[in-house]
Amino acid sequence: MKKLVEAKEGKYKVVDVLKHGKLKKLCNMGIFVGDIIEVVKPAPGPVIIKKGNITIGIGCGIAMDIIVEKVE
Amino acid sequence: MKMEEKIVAIAGNPNTGKTTIFNSLTGTRQQVGNWPGVTVEKKEGYYIYKDVKFKVVDLPGTYTLTGESEDQKIAIDFITQNEVDVLIIMADALNLERSLYLLLLLSEFHKNIIIDLNMVDLAEKEGIEYEIQHLEKLLKVKFVKTVGNKNIGIEDLKEEIYKKCKEPPSEFFEFNYGEEIEKVISEIVCQFKNLKLPYPPRFLAIKILEKDEYFTNFIITKVDWKKINDLIMNTEKFLNKPLDRVLMEKRYGIIHGIVKESLIEKKKELKPEITEKVDRILTHNFLGPLFFLFIIFIIFNAVFVWGKPFVNFIELILEKLKIVFSYLNLPIWINSLIKDGIISGVGSVILFLPNIFLFFFFFAILEDTGYMARAAIVADRIMHKVGLHGKSAIPLILGFGCNVPAIMGTRILENKRDKILTSLSIPFMSCSARLPVYLLFTGIFFKENQGMIVFSLYLLGIGIGVLSIKIFGSIFLKDESLPLIIELPPFRMPYWKNVLIESWTRTKYFLKKAGTIIFLGTLILWVLNYFPHPYNYGTEMNFIGKLGSFIFPLFKFSGFGFWQAGVALIFGIYAKELVVVTFGTLFGVENLTETLRFYFTPISAYSFMLMSLLYMPCLATFLILKKEVGIKWALISLFWSLFAGWFFSTLFYQIFSFLKGGTFVN
Repeated sequence: MKKLVEAKEGKYKVVDVLKHGKLKKLCNMGIFVGDIIEVVKPAPGPVIIKKGNITIGIGCGIAMDIIVEKVE
Repeated sequence: MKMEEKIVAIAGNPNTGKTTIFNSLTGTRQQVGNWPGVTVEKKEGYYIYKDVKFKVVDLPGTYTLTGESEDQKIAIDFITQNEVDVLIIMADALNLERSLYLLLLLSEFHKNIIIDLNMVDLAEKEGIEYEIQHLEKLLKVKFVKTVGNKNIGIEDLKEEIYKKCKEPPSEFFEFNYGEEIEKVISEIVCQFKNLKLPYPPRFLAIKILEKDEYFTNFIITKVDWKKINDLIMNTEKFLNKPLDRVLMEKRYGIIHGIVKESLIEKKKELKPEITEKVDRILTHNFLGPLFFLFIIFIIFNAVFVWGKPFVNFIELILEKLKIVFSYLNLPIWINSLIKDGIISGVGSVILFLPNIFLFFFFFAILEDTGYMARAAIVADRIMHKVGLHGKSAIPLILGFGCNVPAIMGTRILENKRDKILTSLSIPFMSCSARLPVYLLFTGIFFKENQGMIVFSLYLLGIGIGVLSIKIFGSIFLKDESLPLIIELPPFRMPYWKNVLIESWTRTKYFLKKAGTIIFLGTLILWVLNYFPHPYNYGTEMNFIGKLGSFIFPLFKFSGFGFWQAGVALIFGIYAKELVVVTFGTLFGVENLTETLRFYFTPISAYSFMLMSLLYMPCLATFLILKKEVGIKWALISLFWSLFAGWFFSTLFYQIFSFLKGGTFVN
């Protein structure tokens, strides 16, 4: 398990979001705990992830609090 | 007979084609403004269908509905406090779940809803199709399929809106959160029994369960809050989860089920799309910023170089107009009022029009193609260090061209704090109007290193802009800039009709608002310049000259303590180019170089350029600031820029005089 900000390109499962306010923000954009996401562009700079047809840019401030797990 | 009027509101997630549908419904019969008391853009228009006139209001794009966000509160207030006859919810056929989430929220306080399932062509290409009748049966709302940028389905949408107005629905979708939560909602609603509320009680109860700060603060003093709070705490204890999370999960749970049931074709496994490939370059850590700068450079050039022939043409017309008026046998004062006041003053605003139209034109292209979100990603790293959002970089850079459209460009920022801070720093970005001042003085005093001197002024402007963000950000606007989370829409070809309508409507707004106020400013300045009359226009004996004589001692320590400089600076508030024109008028064009050499030294010349760079760029900038961030911040910006100009020019003059002569100058 690692923080999204540390994740390289590839598929990951969202395991947890540490701060509740940030979880709300993500959910509003359609990303939930348990979802499989694809990191298209890793940090440094905002991380770009994909889930289905949704592509989202996430600033490091939020990506620091998203815990993900690599999916084989 | 007066035509029946109905109100239609369009709500939806960003990037679902809301604006395209709004433009398709209303065409050019629309106007842009601000929502009362806030700086969020308001768009409304109308169209006539059969025997009804429909007023269409484009609500701000939103993913959810909380009272904590200005945009979302506008949407809530508009729907609850106006008699909206039909509410259209835009849904992106590629991301239906997220749009249905908004439907569940909005259905708590509006029942006459149509879902506009937009971009069905793109969804079909990706193998996504829905059984519409099944969706309609489950959600008890009407669905209309559209392809906004191809004008497909617009007539069906108009017909459906018409029908909904004539026969409001008899049954509605009512979301059930489950026994435990519904019980809590009912108990909270009971607490509101004797209250007159501007919001539906059930909606308010749900917002309290979601711990929405705005709605909680709204109700907290009106009810037995302890009782409600205990109820929430006990339920959370029982469910072992925060209630807002439970509500969210319940909503998405049911939506997920509905969408899954209604999906006809399974999504095909796709090869990496062109968007993904292009994104790798556009958001690349090294190539991304280069491309961003390239795009800004192109826009910069297009706005100011391509706009130049049009500006010259307008200038020519204004000159001809002045000549025409000098041939008319009008009383001298009327002639002066028209020529020196109205044509020169209002003309200076009209002169901006080609640049402003081009600026909005390119801006609309960036928005329509989906590049704007990528630009925010690219600039976020640098801007975050300054304390702002990535999106702030776009208006800041455009400020080097002209501060007026740049400040209007801060409308792309969702967060009020970012909007204010960006607007306060834009006036320090050295716009093209300051260039004639630099060229005049560097041409006389710094011939050898003209480029370096001008470049240093641009850098100082950036530095003081950043300092302003830091000062105001840490004193008045302490909240942190919102962390960036932004959806990247797929790349699309711009929809030209949309681009043209957007640019024209915004230009029209600028012309109407800024033009009318500037007209008033023009009259005031003309009076100051013209009276008392027997003296020539704009001399030491007129009110403006007296004002110049009054303020010039202030600049004694800055190196330019003489009344002509005071007058030039006053005229400079009107438009920066007028600083040069004023010196030309007061000293005579043919003797200008020699006279300036007499009055200025290289150090005081740089100090004067610094003052010209830092104090309020022009009246139009002040008025646009007032429009965009309110009079309080416009005045703060005005006084801060005047102080910064005076302080830094004095500091520069004193330090360099000391270094040169070993003594401070007084």
